[in-house]
Amino acid sequence: MTSSSAPSRKALSKIACNRLQKELAEWQLNPPSGFKHRVTDNLQKWVIDVIGAPGTLYANETYQLQVEFPEHYPMEAPQVIFVPPAPMHPHIYSNGHICLDILYDSWSPAMTVSSICISILSMLSSATVKQRPADNDRYVKNCHGRSPKETRWWFHDDKV
Amino acid sequence: MDSEDDMMDANDVESVDDDFYSGEMDADCYSDDYGDYDDDVDEDDDDDSGPDYDFMAEAADDSDVVAARSQLSYTVLKEEDIRQRQEDDITKVSTVLSIPREAACILLRRYNWSVSKVHDEWFADEEAVRKSVGLLDGPVVRFSDAELVCGICFDTLPRDRIASAACGHPFCKQCWSGYISTTINDGPGCLTLKCPDPSCQAAVGQDMVNALTSSEDREKYARYLRRSYIEDNRKTKWCPAPGCEYAVDFVAGGGNFDVACLCSYSFCWNCTEEAHRPVDCGTVEKWILKNSAESENMNWILANSKPCPKCKRPIEKNQGCMHMTCTPPCKFEFCWLCLGAWSDHGERTGGFYACNRYEAAKQEGVYDEAERRREMAKNSLEKYTHYYERWASNQSSRQKALSDLHQMQTVHLEKLSDIHCTPESQLKFITEAWLQIVECRRVLKWTYAYGYYLPEHEQAKRQFFEYLQGEAESGLERLHQCAEKELQQFLTAEGPSKEFDDFRTKLAGLTSVTKNYFENLVRALENGLADVDSHAACSKGTSAKVTGICKARATKGKGNGKSGGSSRNGDD
Ligand SMILES: [Zn+2]
Ligand SMILES: [Zn+2]
Ligand SMILES: [Zn+2]
Ligand SMILES: [Zn+2]
Ligand SMILES: [Zn+2]
Ligand SMILES: [Zn+2]
Repeated sequence: MTSSSAPSRKALSKIACNRLQKELAEWQLNPPSGFKHRVTDNLQKWVIDVIGAPGTLYANETYQLQVEFPEHYPMEAPQVIFVPPAPMHPHIYSNGHICLDILYDSWSPAMTVSSICISILSMLSSATVKQRPADNDRYVKNCHGRSPKETRWWFHDDKV
Repeated sequence: MDSEDDMMDANDVESVDDDFYSGEMDADCYSDDYGDYDDDVDEDDDDDSGPDYDFMAEAADDSDVVAARSQLSYTVLKEEDIRQRQEDDITKVSTVLSIPREAACILLRRYNWSVSKVHDEWFADEEAVRKSVGLLDGPVVRFSDAELVCGICFDTLPRDRIASAACGHPFCKQCWSGYISTTINDGPGCLTLKCPDPSCQAAVGQDMVNALTSSEDREKYARYLRRSYIEDNRKTKWCPAPGCEYAVDFVAGGGNFDVACLCSYSFCWNCTEEAHRPVDCGTVEKWILKNSAESENMNWILANSKPCPKCKRPIEKNQGCMHMTCTPPCKFEFCWLCLGAWSDHGERTGGFYACNRYEAAKQEGVYDEAERRREMAKNSLEKYTHYYERWASNQSSRQKALSDLHQMQTVHLEKLSDIHCTPESQLKFITEAWLQIVECRRVLKWTYAYGYYLPEHEQAKRQFFEYLQGEAESGLERLHQCAEKELQQFLTAEGPSKEFDDFRTKLAGLTSVTKNYFENLVRALENGLADVDSHAACSKGTSAKVTGICKARATKGKGNGKSGGSSRNGDD
């Protein structure tokens, strides 16, 4: 378990609950391929298995995503991290933080967990080399326990 | 400074001037018509006209032009003016391009609120412009259903609870409100608000903000929009005075950036530091940097203090004597030169100024280098300290004058008006005197930064500069004294008196004379003292020197409108 799980998250608002229930129902009906939602009774924290797409560097590997929702989801973005060990990827830090713009500045309330998952899988699939971001050690050291949403992200360019 | 006895009889206006700048002046010169004013810096005081020979007259010739120019170069905008201008610009673009106001607003913001730029870009390539800001021609999705699914909460709702940007992507009004509100609370980025659909670039304008959010959010958005109008516009800036909400619209040209806000703060439009004529922005930056530089403190420590050899606290040396005693509780007595215990010194070792232990150490090369560095640091520091102290004391003098001015306006004028049965409107000369003092203190302050950077080797310039600065100091001192001390007796007077009229004449006269002197001083310094003939021999006394300079100028008086190559920045 990573230390970055938010300490005292406020309970979901009514709007957030409604929306998450709809998302969950849709997910169960129509899950994004390559992902498996581990069923719990905690609507505010989802744990999702990610299976590396065939024919990519991560084929047959399974990782775990943890998605936590803030009180005012979907107006505010969820916090999404890989549960370590996180995949070796130039945009994924060893503490599980993911450098992906839609999780931070470019979040839109019209996005969903499902659309996030698809973006993450496409990010993994386009990797040509398994390695950590160049600043991994410094970043992880400076992070100690903070949420990636508190990081001022300077997004890596799109070429992986 | 002159003694009281030197001060002229308040009636004798000419003597004001004679004493003051050794020029000639008629009583009627106290109008704004200072072009007539002829400051004769020649102490012979026989040459009583001719605008071609002295430092003042030439500049006075074009003073009308300067005045006109400085009136035209900027406008102070109050909140209402800003709103009005912004509305006007939006109306213009909206009319010319036949687009809604909110679209015009989006375009103006995109092109830094330049109406002409919007027109140019739009008519060059309307489609590209529309695309770059997300102004769609028509919807990208259409629905005919009576009910729609909101793209955020996923609820199915009747059409009247759904709203869309130009694209047509449906979101319920409640979700719109949350979306817009969240973005507004994130900052000025809300001005480029887009449709929430991740694949859609359709712009969301002020009309939607106003229709879908709370009045608090609407007001916040409008504030960001007004801020953008000033901050993103190359012609406007906020007044930097704390708490001031006025902006300044500046028209380039004229080479003078000083701007006086309606809040009474004066600043340089170019660098937004406090107004700093006659020095240029670069010099101000250097000077401010210099003042805050940590290294200067280090130099100070290096030059004036050493750690006590016993307790290691820094000991400052403030006398010539080398016998140091550390502060209690340490009280260690030691020799400044060699840092050895003083008990080891005395007759035996040759006394303090010839500490043979120091000499010995120097011979061994132990203290030599350190001591030489301290000496060098000290010399450069002394020069800086000299200018800095005077710069800073004019600064605090100015602060004091500002608060005196305030006191005058809020308390004393009313009192004077009562005592002397004079309407306050007739007491404007007092306010004007104080405003002049405040302004002069500011100029004088910056002349010290000017002097600091005036190259050492330009001897003639330095001497002339110091002469002008000295005259300015004493002239201002006289005005300040009159406005401060001489006014006192009228505040405690029983009733109207003839003396008060005399005082009026005198103070107004001093204000006018000082104003002229400083305006000319500023111009001369801005001109880089270009009129000083660097070949003029400067080894004579002040008056001879100044005469020499005046003569030198007389020869080139015709036409040769040179502007100074500012050689004054050569020094660090
Ligand atoms: Zn849209
Ligand atoms: Zn909705
Ligand atoms: Zn102001
Ligand atoms: Zn400036
Ligand atoms: Zn001591
Ligand atoms: Zn000694």
